[in-house]
This record gives sequence, structure tokens and C-alpha cells, in this order.
Amino acid sequence: MKFITWIVVIFSAILFIGLPVYSQDSSLTVIGPWSGGEMDAFLPVLKAFEEETGIKVEFLTYRAEDLSTLLPAQFTAESTLGDLIFMQSWFIQDQAKKGHIMDISAVITEDDFIPGSLDGLKVDGKLYGAAYTGKVKPGFWFRKSFFEKNQLTVPNNWEDFQALLEKMKGIEGISAPIASGNGVGWPLSDITEHFIVAFGGTELFHNLINHSIHWNDAKVKEIFENRLAVLLKENYFGEPSEWTMVLEKWWNGDYGLFFMGSWITGMVDDPSDLSVFSLPGTQGLVFAPDYLFIPAYTQNPENAKKLLAFLVTQGQELQVQQGGHLATYLNVPIEFYPEVDRNVAQILEGKMALPDLDDTIGGEFQSKFWDQLKLLWVKPEQVDDVLDTLESVFEQ
Amino acid sequence: MDLFHRRKRRKSLKTTLHQIVFFLPALILMIIFLLYPVLNTLWTSFTSEDHQFVFLDNYKKVLSSKDVFNQKGFTQGFPLGALPHNFLWILIHLPLTTFLGLVLAVLFKDLKYNYIFKSSIFLGMVTPMVIGGVILRFIYEKEVGIINAILELLGFQAFTWTAYPETALLSLIFGSVWLWTGFSMIIYSSGLGNIPKEYYEAAALDGATPFVIFFRITIPLLKQMTVVVITMTILWELKIFDLVYVATMGGPGGASNVMALQMYFYAFRQFNFQNASVIATLLMLLTLFVTIPLIKSSLGEER
Repeated sequence: MKFITWIVVIFSAILFIGLPVYSQDSSLTVIGPWSGGEMDAFLPVLKAFEEETGIKVEFLTYRAEDLSTLLPAQFTAESTLGDLIFMQSWFIQDQAKKGHIMDISAVITEDDFIPGSLDGLKVDGKLYGAAYTGKVKPGFWFRKSFFEKNQLTVPNNWEDFQALLEKMKGIEGISAPIASGNGVGWPLSDITEHFIVAFGGTELFHNLINHSIHWNDAKVKEIFENRLAVLLKENYFGEPSEWTMVLEKWWNGDYGLFFMGSWITGMVDDPSDLSVFSLPGTQGLVFAPDYLFIPAYTQNPENAKKLLAFLVTQGQELQVQQGGHLATYLNVPIEFYPEVDRNVAQILEGKMALPDLDDTIGGEFQSKFWDQLKLLWVKPEQVDDVLDTLESVFEQ
Repeated sequence: MDLFHRRKRRKSLKTTLHQIVFFLPALILMIIFLLYPVLNTLWTSFTSEDHQFVFLDNYKKVLSSKDVFNQKGFTQGFPLGALPHNFLWILIHLPLTTFLGLVLAVLFKDLKYNYIFKSSIFLGMVTPMVIGGVILRFIYEKEVGIINAILELLGFQAFTWTAYPETALLSLIFGSVWLWTGFSMIIYSSGLGNIPKEYYEAAALDGATPFVIFFRITIPLLKQMTVVVITMTILWELKIFDLVYVATMGGPGGASNVMALQMYFYAFRQFNFQNASVIATLLMLLTLFVTIPLIKSSLGEER
């Protein structure tokens, strides 16, 4: 009797522990990079999906850099952290080639999205990811009130820009004319990409992504040495500091300008006091959509497809209303945007939308690029070393 | 063979069998999770991407890489490469934490309510290194860091210490002294507690000065503790990763890079598992070089 009791207890325990694992749970897990205020602006979109479909959705925050190390191992084991994951385009394309990502060609209509925005997500003509809202990196943000108070004007050419920085340097209480956001490293790469486009043109920018031009080529060196390093040597840029901390200091008047993506409009107290200008002569702007994909190992493929389709259509309409985001879905009415974002959308007009350089190349280059730019910011005289190191990543 | 010896042999075999059965689960787990990965890593370090045996080619490639050993750095300044950086950690961090731990243990020995001081110093040790890294990053910030606040009070100019190649690595090394000193202090405290008071009383009666007592009694009797502190600290310095990853990510320009971080870059940024295995093997060899004397010394004590 005692033996039978033990068998029943053990069997029940196994059943109790094992059942939840094998039970079909229809809820979904979405993984994205946002936390804090950015996450707060995204959660209502998921909530709307839950209300419409009755499917529960959980959101987890993981940085793209961490996902790039976690996911390949998970995929190799044919499992996944989430049912729908936001990740950079290079990663989606790379993993799609290995068969780890679901083909979503039939889930969305490509013509409904900004032309070219899905190009980096295709393998052999099939679509493996979608574009959610995007952020444009338009240039140097400033407070209108700060410019008015100090009688500053938006520059029309390079000389004007240098003169503006020199004038800002003389303003009492200012740490440096331009704030240098840091942390992981991407804020510096955004500034550098803008300089490459402004002074090298969109073709050179594309050629660097394709590596049909070397990083230590004379044309590239000219931009780094005569434009970026010149300003760094004059201490027009502040020391690289954690970017959210710098954001606060810039807003409080410790810096005059802050180069940042359009999400900044959702991160300041008074977006109506914001304005932005690109480097004079810039023909293209980096427009970086948040890409998302469904791993081949999701337990809920149909629900995951429903959520993806919702996010990239209705979801975008809801998201842009929160501020700081621009839709890649062409059917989002302009009235849905807050005023400041409408202005940002207008900056894009007449300019070529470019992919984010380091997000597109990805992998080792990305971390090396960030690290070398941190070095350049404090050692601008080492331009040659920096460019040689970047080139060596491709040589390897 | 007589009945007595046959029975004794059977009993001994039975005992051995019991021992084997008892030991087997642990042995199987060790083979799967310890021995196999170690041997696989070792094998991978000698093979190419297509699994061909290439002998020391990967080692030559890794050790001649600027990321691991940067010859130019020795004449032009940081970065020196991950391997020399690890040795710098040992060279600076080890004597500092060992000495500070010993001094603090001696100072607090007879102090009333010493557990308050000991606990506050040991706090650094229980802080997760990832949090420690974040704290260090902010401590050295130009605008908000406490180090700069103190320096500015003394009339020096503030700057972000982790942003410059000349100061990034040293900032982390000195910063981590705070995080690690609690370990040596606690080990030495327990060692001090085991030294009989009579030794000190006899020395005092003979007219020995505190200085002499410290060097002739305390330090020699703490020899075993020192071996433990040095060994464990070197091991920590060899495998240091989380703190550097969070505080500087090995930058700027690789100026604070270390071996374990470079292994991570090889494995998870470049997906070059051969190079990562080379670093893992080198770290394992260095670790063995440090731990074998410790094991020998503890075995000697048991005998």
C-alpha cells in the first residue's frame, strides 16, 4: 500500500510539473529594445491588440546587442525566447538564410510600406521581416528658446556652422557647444553617419555599407579629418557621456546642440520648444525602422502572424500618436502625428531615406565602429589609426 | 585462498562497487558538463572552421592580433592588448587588495563594533560586478562622478576618466579595489582570529615593537591565508569580464580590453569559435599555473 501511495504521489508530481510545459498556451511574447518611457509608449499598442483579439501579450525588454548573442544559440536548439522579436535587419537576413525565421510574404502587403523599407529583410525574393515605425536621424536638435535667448541662428553653410559653434563656446555656463551622447556607443555613430552623408554624399554612404569603398580611402579620410576631427580638436563636442544624462544637461542649457534621432520628441518636457537642423548640404537622412520578425520556432505561428499584421498597420497608427515615431505604413494619416513629429516628417521631404550604416553592416563591425569612435572623440589626431582599424575588420 | 580472505575480498569488492555507484551520478555529470566542454574547447582551438587540424595556427593568429597583444602600444601608449591588460590587473590590483585587506583586518581586529566597519567594506564584495561596473562608470563621469567632485574641490580639472585610453584601464583597476578588498579583509580576519594571543603577549613581554610583531608574528602566521587570497584574487583578475563589459566595453579603442571580454567578442560578435577557444585555453593554462601550487600546498598541509 505504501509503495502504491508513493507511485501515485510521484506520478502526480510529474504530471503537475510537466503539464504546464506541454499545455498549449495561446499567449504571445514580444521582445523589443524599449524600456522606461519608450516602453510605456509601446505597451498601449499591445493592449489594443489584446482587446481586439483576446490574445494575451507579454513584453520583454532585451537590447539588440544582447539578442545577437542569445538568439543564435536558442535557434540552434530550435527554441525561441519570444514569438515576435524586434531586431536589426542584418540579423534578420542572416538568420533567415539559416532557416530560423518564418517567411511572412503572405502576411503583409509590401506596397503598403515606404518603398525600400523592406529590402533588407528579403532572402531569395521572400520576405522574412516587417518594418514597424521608424525614427529619422535628422541632425542637431536645439531649444528654440535657447537660440532666441542667445541670438543664435540656424547655419546655411559649413562656415556658418563653425561660427555658430564658436559663438556657443563663448556662452557663459556652457560645457561645450555640442553634447556627445554615449553609453553603448551608437550616439557617436549617428553623428558620424550624418557627417559622411553630408560631405561624402549618399553614394559614398551606400558604398561604405557595401564595402565597395575602403574605410581608409582618401575620400573617407577627408571627411573624418577635415570635418569631424577639426571640430573635435576645437573642443566643440563635449566629452562622451551617458546619453540620457546628456539629454537632461542639454535641455538645461549645458550644451547648445544635441544630435539625436526623432525619438527625442517623446523624451523632453516641452516638444514645442524643439527644433532641428541638418548639416548644410545634406542630401540624405538616416531613416531607421524598427524591424521585427517571427522565429520559425514559435509555438503560436498563427497568433504571431496576427500580431505582426496588427502591429505594422493599426499598431503604427497608435504608436505615432504617442510621439517620437514615424510610420513606415503608408496609410497612416498625417493628422495622427503630434505637431513636432509632423515637422520631422517634413524634414525628410526631398531627401533620400538611408539605412542606418552600422545597423545594416552589424556584427563585429558595429561594436568596433562604436569603440573606435569613442577613441576618435578623445583622440581626434588618431584618425588614421581609427580608419585603418575599421578597414581591418573587413580584411579579416 | 581461505574462507576468511575470500569473504574479506568479496566485502571489499562490494564496498568498491557501492563507492562506484555512489560516485557515478556525479562522475557522469562532470564528464558531460565539465570534461567534455573542456576537451572540446581544447580540440576546437587546434582546428579550422571546417574542422581540419591546424595545430598552432589559431594560437599564432590570436597572439599576433592587435586586440590581444599590441606591440605598438608599448611605445605609443594604450591599448597594449587584452593579455598585457590582464597582467596589469594582476600587477596593480593584487598587491593593493592584498595589502589593504591585511591592514584593515589588523586595524579592525580589536576594535569595538568592528563588524560594522567590516560589513561596510565587505559590501563591495557582495555587490554584483555588473552593478559594480555601472557604479564605477558613474563614479568617473565628469559631470556627476564623486571622484571629479573631490578633485574639483582640490582645484584639479574634472574629466571623464573612463573616456580616455590613458586612464580607462587604470580607473577600472583602482575602482575594483573597493569591490574586492572585502574578500582579503575577511580571509585575513578569520586567520587573525586563529593566532593564539599568547604569541603576542610573549612578544610584548620581550619588548617587541608593534612593527616587529606585525612582521615577525602576524605575517608569517598568515602565510596560508595569503596563499588563498593571492590565488583567488589572481583567478578573479584573469577571468574579469562583467565589470569591464558594463563600465567601458573594453574601450575606448580597446584600451581597457581584457582576455575574457576578447573571448566574448570572438565568440559572440565574430562567431569565431576557434579564436575564442584559443583564449579559453590560454586562460585555463594560466589558471592552472596559479591553482596547482595552491592545491599542492593544501595537500601538503593535509599530510
